[in-house]
Amino acid sequence: MKKKLFIGLSLLLNGVAYAQNRFPKPDFESGYEYPDITYPIPNESLWVTLDIILLVVLMGIVAWAALKKRTRKPIIWVSIISVAYFGFFRSGCICSIGSIQNISLALVDNSYILPVSVLLFFILPIVFAFLFGRVFCAGVCPFGALQELVNVKNYRLSKAVTTVLGMIPWIYLIFAILYAVTRSSFIICRFDPFIGIFRLGGDIGMIAFGTLLLIASIFIGRPFCRFICPYGALLSLFSRVSIWKVEITPKQCINCDLCHDACPVDAIKPPYENKVKESRQQGVKRVLIYFVVLPLMVIAGAFLTRSVSGELSRANKDVRLYDMVMEHEVNPQDVLSLELEAFYGQGSSIEELTEKQEAIQAEFKFYSTIAGALIGLVVGFALIGLSLKRTRKQYEIDHAACVACGRCFSYCPQNKIGIESGNISL
Amino acid sequence: MEKRDEHKKSPIARRKFLKALGTAVAGGSILAVSGGLIGRVKGAEADHYWQIDPAKCTQCGRCETHCVLPVSAVKCIHANKVCGYCDLCGGYYRTNARELNTAAENMMCPTGAIERKFVEDPYFEYTINEDLCNGCGKCVKGCGSFGNGSLYLQIKRDLCTDCNECKIATVCPADAITRVPLTWAYKLKD
Repeated sequence: MKKKLFIGLSLLLNGVAYAQNRFPKPDFESGYEYPDITYPIPNESLWVTLDIILLVVLMGIVAWAALKKRTRKPIIWVSIISVAYFGFFRSGCICSIGSIQNISLALVDNSYILPVSVLLFFILPIVFAFLFGRVFCAGVCPFGALQELVNVKNYRLSKAVTTVLGMIPWIYLIFAILYAVTRSSFIICRFDPFIGIFRLGGDIGMIAFGTLLLIASIFIGRPFCRFICPYGALLSLFSRVSIWKVEITPKQCINCDLCHDACPVDAIKPPYENKVKESRQQGVKRVLIYFVVLPLMVIAGAFLTRSVSGELSRANKDVRLYDMVMEHEVNPQDVLSLELEAFYGQGSSIEELTEKQEAIQAEFKFYSTIAGALIGLVVGFALIGLSLKRTRKQYEIDHAACVACGRCFSYCPQNKIGIESGNISL
Repeated sequence: MEKRDEHKKSPIARRKFLKALGTAVAGGSILAVSGGLIGRVKGAEADHYWQIDPAKCTQCGRCETHCVLPVSAVKCIHANKVCGYCDLCGGYYRTNARELNTAAENMMCPTGAIERKFVEDPYFEYTINEDLCNGCGKCVKGCGSFGNGSLYLQIKRDLCTDCNECKIATVCPADAITRVPLTWAYKLKD
C-alpha cells in the first residue's frame, strides 16, 4: 500500500514538474483555431454600491420613524425590504456582523486588504448608533428583521437568565476577534445561523440551529440579537451614549405598563423603588469592593485563558497540521490524510512548519491573555449590574438594549393622541 | 424633592456628566478607528476575489464537497493552448480503462462533463460543459499525471457568492485558495 502511494506521489510530482512540456503543441493542418476563452468577471461593484446606499437610506428611514414620527409602520416595511434584499437576494456577504473580523484583522495586520465596502458596512451602523441609537438593529439588519417579523408574543425571561445569556455576545465578540487577529478562523461566519436559511442551503447543523432560533423568536423577542449577536454588543456601547435617542414621554405617561409588556428586548424598565436605604459609608464600601473584585476577575480571566491558549490555538490550520505531521513522524501511518499528502507532496520542510507553529502559539498566548482579561471584565460588569438596584421614578428606556423597533409606540395610548394633536413633549 | 435634584452634588448631574464623557469617548473612538483604517482602504481596482492557485492545488476533491453552494462554484477550466490534443487523454479516460470508448466505466469524469470532438488525425479537442462539472478535480489529477496539465480547477466568479470566509479555503489541505486581485484571476495558466 505504502509503495503504491509512493509511486502515486512521485507520479504526481513528476506530473506537476513536467506538465508543461510532456506533449508537444500540435501543429494543425486543417486550419484549426484555438477557441476563445472568456472568463466571467464579477459584476459585484454595482451591487455593493447599491448595498451601501440602501444601508444608509434604510437606517435613515428607521431613525426618522423612531425618533421623529414615533411610529412603527415604516420600520416594518424596512424590515421586509431588508429580509428580501440583504437576506434572500444578496444572501448576506459581507454583513456588518462579520465585518468585525475583517476590521480587527486589518487593525493588526498591515498586509490584509480591506475593501471600502467592508469598512463602510462596519462603521456606518456604528455612526448611526452613536447618533440615533441602534437603528441598524431595528430592521436594517436582515437577521433582526427576520426575527422581528415572526415575533408574536414576548415571554419575559427572568433577570438572572437574561444576565447570564446576555454575557454570550460579549464573549462571542472577544473570541471572534481573537480568532480573526490570529488568522485562524472567522467564527462569526462559520457559525452564522441564518445565512443557510437565506441561501436556501448550506451547513445542515447551522440551518437547524437557525430554525430553532426562529421558532424561539416567535415567543421570545429577538433571541439572536440579545443573546448571540456580537455586533449588537458592540453597537450597545455606542447607543448607550447616543446623541439622540428614542424617548418615553414622561409628561404624558399614565403608567399603564403596556410599553413594558410590548418591548421585545426588555429595554423598558418599570418604575422601581429601592427600599434599602444605604448610608454613604456603606455606599463607599460597596464601590471599593467593586474596585477590588473587578481587577481580580480580570486577572483570573487572563490567567485562565492564557493557560488554555495551547488548546485554543488548535483552531488554527497550521497548528493542526503541525500536530498531524508530528504524530506521523512518531508513528507513520499507512494511509496519509489529505493534509499530510499535500504537505509531503509539496515538499515543505518541517522546520518551516515548526517555526510557523511557534509563531502562532506565541501570538495565541499574547492575544488569549488579553481576551481572558476582557472576559473577566465582562463577567465582573455583569455581576455588578446584578448587584445594582437603582430607584426609578418613571418608565425608563435602557438605551443599550433598545433596538428602536418602535413596538412601544403602537402600544402607548398616549403616543397616538400626542401625535394626532401634535403635542408630544419630550 | 425638585430642589434636591438640582443640587450641585445630586446623582443626576453626575450621571449626566458620565454620559457626556461616554459620548465624547464613543465619538472619539469612531473617529480614531475610521481615521486609522481609511488610509488602509484600497480603491475598487484592488477588490480581491477567492481564486485557486493551480500550482498548489492537489485535487483533493474537497472543492466539490465543501462549497456552500448546492453545486460547487469551483469548475474545471481547460487551457486549450497548453493542451496536447491527445487521443489518449489522461483527463478523459480512466487510467485502467479497458476500452477507449465513451462507456461510463471508462470515463474519468463522473458527470460526463468533458466533451471531445475530433479535429484532425490524431488530434481531439476537449471542452468542459460547466453545467455538468461539479469541481471534483478527477480529470485535473489525470491530466496532471499523464498530460500537459492543461486542465485546472478554478473558482468561477459568476457563480461564487464571495463568502467572507471561503468554506473550501478553511479545509483546503494545500492552502491553494486565497483572495487575489481581479487582474490575476483565471490567468494562471494561459
